[in-house]
Amino acid sequence: MSDVAAQQVEEQEPEVDLAKADVVIDKYIDLPGNLMPVLQGIQDTYGYVPRKVADYVAERLNVYPSQIYGVLTFYAQFHLKPRGRFIIRVCVGTACHVQGAQRIKETFYNLLHIKHTETSADLRYTFEEVACLGACGMAPLAMVNDDTYGKMTVQKVDEIVAKYSAIPLD
Amino acid sequence: MVNLTINDKQVTAPKDCTIYEAAKLNGIKIPILCHDKKLKPFGACRMCLVEVEQMKGRQIPSCTTPATEGMIIRTDTPEIIKARKLVLELLLLNHPLDCPVCDKGGDCDLQNLTYDYQVDSNRFVDSKFQHEIDYNNPLIERDMNRCVLCGKCVRICDEIVAFGALTFIDRGIETKIGCDFEKPLDCEFCGSCVSVCPVGALLARPFKHKARFWALTNHNSVCGYCGTGCNLTLGVKDNKVLTTVYNENQGFHKGQLCVRGRFGYQFINSENRLTTPLIRKNGRLTEATWDEALEIVATRLKGGNSVAALATPRLANEELTLFKKMMLDNIGSKNFDNSAGYAHAALTEGFVRSFGSAASSASILDIQKSDLLLVVKTDTYETHPVIGFEINMGVKNKGIKLNILSDKRGKLSKLPGANTQVHIPGAEVAVLNALCNSIIDQKLADDSAVSLPGYPELVKALAGFTPETVAATSGITAESINKLAADYASAEKALILFPTGLGYAGHTADLATAVANLAILTGKFGKEGCGVLCLSEKNNSQGAVDMGFYPREGGMNALQILDACTSGTVKTLLVAGENPLTSYPDNAKVKAALDAVEFLIVSDLFLTETAELADIVLPACSFAEKEGTYTSTDRRVQYVKPAINKIGKSKSDFEIISSLIAKMGGTPPVTPAVQFAEISANTPGYESMTYATLGNEGAFAPVSINPVFVVPVAAQITAAQGKLALVTGSVLYHNGTLSQHGEGPVHVCPDAYVEMSRADAISSSINDNDLVTVSSSSGSLQLKAKVSLRIPEGVVFIPYHFPAAPVNKIWSGSAVTMVSLSK
Repeated sequence: MSDVAAQQVEEQEPEVDLAKADVVIDKYIDLPGNLMPVLQGIQDTYGYVPRKVADYVAERLNVYPSQIYGVLTFYAQFHLKPRGRFIIRVCVGTACHVQGAQRIKETFYNLLHIKHTETSADLRYTFEEVACLGACGMAPLAMVNDDTYGKMTVQKVDEIVAKYSAIPLD
Repeated sequence: MVNLTINDKQVTAPKDCTIYEAAKLNGIKIPILCHDKKLKPFGACRMCLVEVEQMKGRQIPSCTTPATEGMIIRTDTPEIIKARKLVLELLLLNHPLDCPVCDKGGDCDLQNLTYDYQVDSNRFVDSKFQHEIDYNNPLIERDMNRCVLCGKCVRICDEIVAFGALTFIDRGIETKIGCDFEKPLDCEFCGSCVSVCPVGALLARPFKHKARFWALTNHNSVCGYCGTGCNLTLGVKDNKVLTTVYNENQGFHKGQLCVRGRFGYQFINSENRLTTPLIRKNGRLTEATWDEALEIVATRLKGGNSVAALATPRLANEELTLFKKMMLDNIGSKNFDNSAGYAHAALTEGFVRSFGSAASSASILDIQKSDLLLVVKTDTYETHPVIGFEINMGVKNKGIKLNILSDKRGKLSKLPGANTQVHIPGAEVAVLNALCNSIIDQKLADDSAVSLPGYPELVKALAGFTPETVAATSGITAESINKLAADYASAEKALILFPTGLGYAGHTADLATAVANLAILTGKFGKEGCGVLCLSEKNNSQGAVDMGFYPREGGMNALQILDACTSGTVKTLLVAGENPLTSYPDNAKVKAALDAVEFLIVSDLFLTETAELADIVLPACSFAEKEGTYTSTDRRVQYVKPAINKIGKSKSDFEIISSLIAKMGGTPPVTPAVQFAEISANTPGYESMTYATLGNEGAFAPVSINPVFVVPVAAQITAAQGKLALVTGSVLYHNGTLSQHGEGPVHVCPDAYVEMSRADAISSSINDNDLVTVSSSSGSLQLKAKVSLRIPEGVVFIPYHFPAAPVNKIWSGSAVTMVSLSK
C-alpha cells in the first residue's frame, strides 16, 4: 500500500458495529442484483452508509468498493455522513414560498443553527430544504421524519423544536 | 454475413458486429471517443452518430447498434456533421484548452476531432471544471478537468484488469471519474486506463514533459520481464526509451500490459547501468578496457571442467546456444545452468517424464477457448498479470469455470464464480493425487488412459491418496476434492495452469507430473482449450530450456555448481545476468560459494550484489539494445530488433561470448541471424523458422506429446508447534530482481514485507507496518508486517525479489519453511 493510502486509512470515522451489517447482508446474500436492497438496508440500520460498512459490503458481496461508491453518489437517497435522528424537511416550493417558507426556514436556523443538509453536532437534527412535499394546500409545510406539520407558523416551529428536543436520544 | 449500404457503397460485415465495426472493417471512418475494440460497446460520447434510412433518418449511435441485413446507412450528412460539431462544442465548453502543455497533444482524440470538424468557436459559455489533480502516486496523473467521461478507464479496469479502481461519481453535470470515497488512486498501476484515455485526463507521469508524441520513434519489441511474451512498442527519442506506446493491434493481448511492461522500462536507460568493464585490482573494481578484460577472462576460461557458468534465462536464444557451445566446445565443461535449476525442473524433468517434451502442452490462447481452468496457486496473477487478464476475460465474458488450488487467496479468487480451495502449504501434490484417485474412483477417467504406460503403477500409488486421507492432511474436505475432480473430468475442455520460478521451490518436477497425470487421465491434452500450461518466470525461460542450457549428461546444476565452488572443484565461475546472492535459496551458502571460488566473472546490466564480489565485471546490454529471439512460456518464438544503441561501452552477451570464443581460438558466428539458422536446424519445433518468417507476430514451436503416467512424490509436511509456514513467491509489481531497476515497480512496491493473517497478527500482537523479525532455523530477517485477509491462519508470505531484504537468508529452498514471528 502506498503511503498516501496508509494516511487515508488513518483518518477514520468512529467505530461501527459490522455485525449489524451482517444481518442485512445475510438477508439478501442470495438475491441477484442485491446491491441496492443491501445499501438501503444498511442506511436504515445505521442512518447513513459509513465508509467502513461500504468497504465491508464490497468485501462480502465481492463488488468493487468503487462501484458501491458510484451507486451511493448517484442516488440522492444515500447519505455518506451521519444523519440526525430527526430529519426536518421544510418545503420551499412555490406555494410554500408564497406563504412565507423563508421565515419558517430562518426560524429553524435561529433555533438549531443548521442549514440545508447539515446535521447538528449531537446528531439530533438534520435540516433539509425540499422543493415540494406534495401537500400545497397545507402550505407552508414542514415534516419531521414521517410527521407532517401544515400551516406552519413561527410559533409552531418553537413548539416542534421543543417537542423533539424533549425526546431522549438512545 | 450481412449486406449493408454505407454512404452509397455496398458492403458486407459479420453478423454479430455493430454499424461502427462494419464501417471500420470496410474502411469507412466514423469518429468516436468512447470505443475500444477490447471493451464492450458503451455509447457515451455521441460522436459516432449515423443515420439509418430504415430508422426514419433518426440519428443513432453506431457503436451500440447492431448491423442488420439491408441497412442503408449514411455517416456524413450535413445534419450528422452539425450534431457532431455540437457534441464537440459541448465537450470543449468545460475541457481546458491547455493543449500546449498537455502531454496528450498530437495524440489526443478530442484535439484531432476538433481539428477535423473545424470547431473554431463556441456558441456557449460556461466555466471550466475546478477538480483537484491527483498527483498522489508516481505513475498515473489524473486530471479530471480534461475528462470527457467516455468511461473507457472505468470499463477497462473492470472488464479486463478486474481491479475496479475507478467509477463514475455523482451524476449529471457534476459527474466525474474517481476512486471510492474520492481517495487517491491506489491500484496495481498497470496503466491500462492511461493507454485507453482519449484525452489527457490520465497520463503516465514518468513520461510527463519528456517528449512530444510526434518526436518519438516507435520500435516494436517484446517485454523483457516475464514469460508471457507480451509485445511492446517502445517510444524512443535521443537513444532513450522514454515510454511504452499503446497499440491495440499488437499481440494476442491487443496492447494490454501490466505494471512491469508499461512502467518498468526505466532500467534500460538507468543511470546505474554498467558502462565499462571492471577489473579487480588491489581489492577494488577499477575501470578497464574490453581488450584487457576479455584477455584475462579467456585465459581463466581455459580450465575444462573446473569452469562453470550460470546464465539468466533473460538472454536471447542465440546467446544461450552460443554460450552453451562455448562451454562444450571451447572450454570443455558440462557445468552450466540457468536460474537455480529447480526453477525450471517442472519442465525439464516433470514434463519430460510425463509428456516426453520439456514444454507446455497448451498455449495462452487456449485459456479463452477452454470451459474450465484449474489454477494451482493464485500467484498466477502476480507472476503473469496479462495471463490473469486473459483468465478474467474468459471467466467474465465466456462463463469459463475457474477452480483454484492455492495456499492463500488472491485476486483470482475474487473473479465471479471462482472456487478457491485453500490447502495447507506444500500439500499441492497430495491434493492433485487425490483428484486423480477420485476421478478413477468416480469412473470419470478417459477410456484411453487405461492402456497408457504407467497406469497400473499410478493406480497402485494413488491408493494412499484417497480424498478422505488427503482431506485430513491438506485442509480441503473430501467432498470438495471429489467435486473438483468431477468438475475437471466432466468439463469438455479443461486447462491447468501453474507458475514456476525462483520463488516457487514447491513447484517441482513432482508437481508437474501430478498435474500431467490429471490431464492424461482425463484425455485433456493435445486439444484446443486443453492441456497444462507451466508459466515460466523469465522472458526466455522456455527458450533456455529449448536451447538446452541446463545440465544434461553429467553436468552439474546450479546448486551443485555453487557447492563445487565452495569445495574448490569449480575454480572459475562465469555468471551472466544472474544474481544468486539475492534470488537463490540459502544466502549464506551462496555467499560462501562466491567467496570461495577462485575467479568470478559476472556480466550484467548493473553492479548487482553478486557482481560486487566479482574479479571481473563485464557490462552487458538490455533486450532493447540487441537483436535476438525469445521464446515465451507457450513456445511462441519472437524476434526483437534493437530499439536504441548500446549504452556506454556495454556489449550484448552475444558479442561478449563471440569475442571470448575468438580469443580461445574458435570461430564465432558472424551475426545472431547465423546463430539462429543453427538453432532452427537443431531444435525440435524450431524447424524452418527464420527472422523473416517470425515477423511481428512470432511463430509457435509445436510440441510433440507422448503421454506416460508417472508417480509423483508428495512432499511430507511436518508442522511445528507454534510455528508458521513460510511460503515465498512473486509480488505483482516485480519479476526476478531486474524489476528493482524499473521506476514503476519500485515506486509501487519498494520493499519486501511479510504478509500474515489477521488471526496470527492478533495472537502475536503485530499491527500493519510493524517491523517484525521472521526467524527460521537458518537465520532471521526484519521485515515490515502486512496484515491481510487473503492469507490463511498459520501461513506467512514473503516475496523474494528484494536485495535489501533477501528472503533467502531464512529460506533454504524447501517448499515450506517453518518460521516464527517476533516484534
